[in-house]
Amino acid sequence: MIETPPRPARSLGEAVGETIGFTQEGARYLKYEAGSLNPEGSRRYYFYLMLPAIFVLACITIYPFFWLIYMSLHSVDIGGAGDMWNDFRNWTRLTRDRKFQDGWLRLAHYSVLCILFEVGIGVLLAVILNNSRFEKVLVTIFLMPMMVAPIVAGLVWYYLYNSTFGWYHWLLQSAGILGETSILGDRGTAMWGIVIVDIWQWTPLIALITLAGLKRVPRDQLEANMVDGAGAFKNFFQVTLPNLYPFLLIAILLRFMDNFRFIDAILVLTGGGPANSTKILPLYLFDISFQFFKLGRGAAIALTLLIMTIVLGLILVRVFESPAGKVNQNEEGR
Amino acid sequence: MASRDIVQYRSPGRRLLSILTVVFLAAYLVWTILPLFIMFVSSFKDLLAAFQLPEVGDWLSIGVFFDFKPTAKHYVDLFVDNNFGTYLVNSIVAAGGSAVVSVVLGSMAAYALSRIEFRGKKDLFFWIISTRMAPVVAVMVPLYAIFRGVGLVGTLPGLILAYTTFNLPFAIWMLKGFFDNVPYAIEEAAMCDGCTRFQAFRAILPLVAPGVGAFLVLCVLFAWNDFLFASIIGSGGAKTLPPATRELVQPQNIQWGKIMAAGVVTTIPMMFLGLLIRRYLVAGLTMGAVRE
Amino acid sequence: MFSVPKNPIYKSVSRRKFLELGGGVATTLGASSLAVGLNSVINRTPVMAQSSDDAKWKQYAGSRLVFMSENTPPSFAIRDNLETFYDLTGIEVEILTDDLPVVQQKVGIDLRGGSADFQLNYVQDKPIGSPFADYYEDLLKYTRDDTLPLDPEGYDEDIWFENFLKACGVYYEPGRIVAFPYDCAVACTFYRQDLFEKLSKDFEVEYGYPMEFTIDTTWKNVYDFAAFFKKMREAGHKDIPYGYAQHQGSFAWTLQLDIQRMLFAHGQWTEFDIDDKLGSKTPGPTNWGDEQSVLIMEKYKEQAEVSHPDNLANGTLELNTVYQAGEIAMQVQYHEFAASIEDPNTSKAADGKTAYAPCPKGAKEWIATGLDPVNGCNCGIGGIGINAAASEDLKRAAFLFASWATSKGTQLDVLKKLGGTPTRKSVLEVPEVKKAEQRPTTMPNALTFHAVYDVGIRDPNFVLGPKIPEANEYHNIVLTEVQRCVTGETSPEEACEEIRWQVDDMNGI
Repeated sequence: MIETPPRPARSLGEAVGETIGFTQEGARYLKYEAGSLNPEGSRRYYFYLMLPAIFVLACITIYPFFWLIYMSLHSVDIGGAGDMWNDFRNWTRLTRDRKFQDGWLRLAHYSVLCILFEVGIGVLLAVILNNSRFEKVLVTIFLMPMMVAPIVAGLVWYYLYNSTFGWYHWLLQSAGILGETSILGDRGTAMWGIVIVDIWQWTPLIALITLAGLKRVPRDQLEANMVDGAGAFKNFFQVTLPNLYPFLLIAILLRFMDNFRFIDAILVLTGGGPANSTKILPLYLFDISFQFFKLGRGAAIALTLLIMTIVLGLILVRVFESPAGKVNQNEEGR
Repeated sequence: MASRDIVQYRSPGRRLLSILTVVFLAAYLVWTILPLFIMFVSSFKDLLAAFQLPEVGDWLSIGVFFDFKPTAKHYVDLFVDNNFGTYLVNSIVAAGGSAVVSVVLGSMAAYALSRIEFRGKKDLFFWIISTRMAPVVAVMVPLYAIFRGVGLVGTLPGLILAYTTFNLPFAIWMLKGFFDNVPYAIEEAAMCDGCTRFQAFRAILPLVAPGVGAFLVLCVLFAWNDFLFASIIGSGGAKTLPPATRELVQPQNIQWGKIMAAGVVTTIPMMFLGLLIRRYLVAGLTMGAVRE
Repeated sequence: MFSVPKNPIYKSVSRRKFLELGGGVATTLGASSLAVGLNSVINRTPVMAQSSDDAKWKQYAGSRLVFMSENTPPSFAIRDNLETFYDLTGIEVEILTDDLPVVQQKVGIDLRGGSADFQLNYVQDKPIGSPFADYYEDLLKYTRDDTLPLDPEGYDEDIWFENFLKACGVYYEPGRIVAFPYDCAVACTFYRQDLFEKLSKDFEVEYGYPMEFTIDTTWKNVYDFAAFFKKMREAGHKDIPYGYAQHQGSFAWTLQLDIQRMLFAHGQWTEFDIDDKLGSKTPGPTNWGDEQSVLIMEKYKEQAEVSHPDNLANGTLELNTVYQAGEIAMQVQYHEFAASIEDPNTSKAADGKTAYAPCPKGAKEWIATGLDPVNGCNCGIGGIGINAAASEDLKRAAFLFASWATSKGTQLDVLKKLGGTPTRKSVLEVPEVKKAEQRPTTMPNALTFHAVYDVGIRDPNFVLGPKIPEANEYHNIVLTEVQRCVTGETSPEEACEEIRWQVDDMNGI
């Protein structure tokens, strides 16, 4: 049945529509009108349209998900005997698996470092670009790293970092920042090595998002604040930043989830070393499942990763839907 | 635009500030371009020339970077010896195919989702988008088993389907926003003129065409740059550029010249496409949460 | 569209022609992979014991096989040579190559799933053979089948180099052979003879013995050499490279081999008390943590301190690059790398600057057990094995390829072309190869053959293990803990104890 809501519907999709600046009123009104013409027929028709996509998605998500749950409860070793129920041993093992716990800590460490710098530099960049005459040209150039395949970015930076022939290593060494040990060859600096690559690739994204936010900082608020005698910096912190908050939150969540998804660059840069110092959880999972063939243990770890992703996703959607998330609607005051 | 002229007012340190601004922009420009520039130049260097570095601290000899005889042999080798022609075509077919499939199925679903309300729609929508966010490593083992079960491992159709796992939810999510924006009145008018429902759907397609085109390109971009699916589901049979590039790290020799050349080959088309859809990029990369 | 013709086309059109006609077009269109996929095809003409060899070779003409291999030079060379095999048998073989970890994973899922997408597998001894041995077909039964064109030399243990057949083909129980040796990588010492000669006098002044590399050179000498080079370099001689570097990086298997060589050299220490060549599914408690292992861990750590400063970042491949770039004077490296060292286009150590010697010997004073030192040497022997889940006909057709790919003629071809690594003794007896063992040479790998085949792989120098189903996880544990020790996070005692705990936990002890 098509519901006829007592108030204008606030579906997730509409929320997104609003956030990207579509005006919904007309469409929404007409939609319910249309529904009342021939509710049953139209409903079936629309479901048929949806069906192929839903079917494809179901095949490639629901089935694997239950398979993961099944595997996480059994001993599933490629090369071993058949699957055997093992009394939650895959799960209890995680409690004493230090590499698993370290993996989470390193993932958090890595993500926080990346995001801290990306947001810091990105916001600064956006503010400067917003006041620059060359905004269009510069933004276009700054976009380029995002188009590079992560695996290629990893290989290029690996080349740059190399202590034998890498130009960046030479630069750092000549500037007295590094000794002869390359940035990836030391436990203390390897994490920075992979963070720098992420910063290079993804700071532009944060800058772009911030830039979009800056354009929507309400002029009257800025003016009002100035009348109150605020300077440029004060104005930035009192008016601009609060208005940017939802944009930054979205950017941060997206980057967090991407750090869960992409291990390509780290795979070629350090492979998780040295001494596991860059072995973030997805990489450890990669080892367990694809190198040790402990598919049962791998599935348990995969599920923890999936659950965390879903939690982050839920938060993201909340942000989309919250009043603050309606980043386009800036009529209401602070 | 709103805030530009407002923040530019007089303050004592303004001159210093503007100098710092220029320095920062210049530094950021170098930082962005340098790795790409080195990749580009190194792709024309012989292996031994690629090993050339000045002494530590010898800033004046930095020109050694340009001290080489350019050779196009790495590019020639890639296409003659390493089958990069095939991989390039595979990349185009896989990325393009998945983009088309995703956008076609996605626009149908998005249109439907945009036109009706039903209980659980919110949950359905969250499920759709969560499939896009799932870490690839986590679901790779079962996915591989499924693909192998239906004989799709190592084939281009398999790879197209694999890329659809992340492109389809993306397309549905993004396109729904577009359809929401199209008033139902247009379809209604079309149907009054005797169109069927499907013809009415077709009638509004031109209205969303720019968006559909942009997201098609974005889907190509996501698929093109993928490595994990390509190396595992694509296996050896449907090798695309990223795994082929990775494979140049060979047991006997890391062939840096070739790797850089392969990097250039992989990157250039995407930079071009990126520029082409520049206007939709932020919306696309933020799942539509932010629009310029 | 472009699937393989059922009619063996080799009769009327040569393979090359065929490629030009159809395959070439398909490749340019990129449609080949679309149409072909991974499907194998089988097509059989029955033969009898008394049939001609040609008929036996051609009995599966029109079939199609898939071989999943690591991206090693022999695989590339054999891929270039497939035309010969097609002309001989009419069987089309697709060789897929990938990184070892990816190969492991795909082969693993394929073997376990029981559907045999890859009828032929690259059975690298520990990384692939140890976990999956049970899923491979016993090749012995085919070697006695007279309806197959058997190799005139046969397949017995003694026609391969010593230990090779056991290393890659026999797992956990004797009497079953799951793979034939297909290529190999055996460790030996590469060193810069030009520098050794130049600096020997200076070295002797300080250390009281000349700097030269012989079969009796010990790991302690290697430490002295490396310390000397490093001191010279740090005293400002920028033209002198560092002395030594270890196999570190993130490639766990080769790091394990790196420290294993040293451990074994000192009184033949092994990780478990099991038959090293056969391996065991239940290896029992490990020997890590005993006095000898702690002592060597300490020495390994000291060795790291006199190594190239970027030691930890250098995996096996990068290590070779560092040597090629003239940044180190010594490396213990796999002999297949000689070809890249001797290529003046890629290496500063070419043109007779490099000499090859067996792996260093154990130093008497570093042996806590009182046993004799040896030139501890290890290797990776890549076998070619057949998926047991394939159909009987497919397996027989696959055997034709396995037999051909490991035959003397093919190995000689590969050696000439791309720097192959022979596994059959008879290849070394070819006068052309014998001659190539001395400079000037057309087959650079042959320069290492004395160090490798006459010393390294022979008992008592040869070590393989541990062949256990968990070998890959074991390598990873060793990698992590050795690196933590080398960086000073743990002491040698703690590192060995940590390995012991984790390995025993892994084996359920």
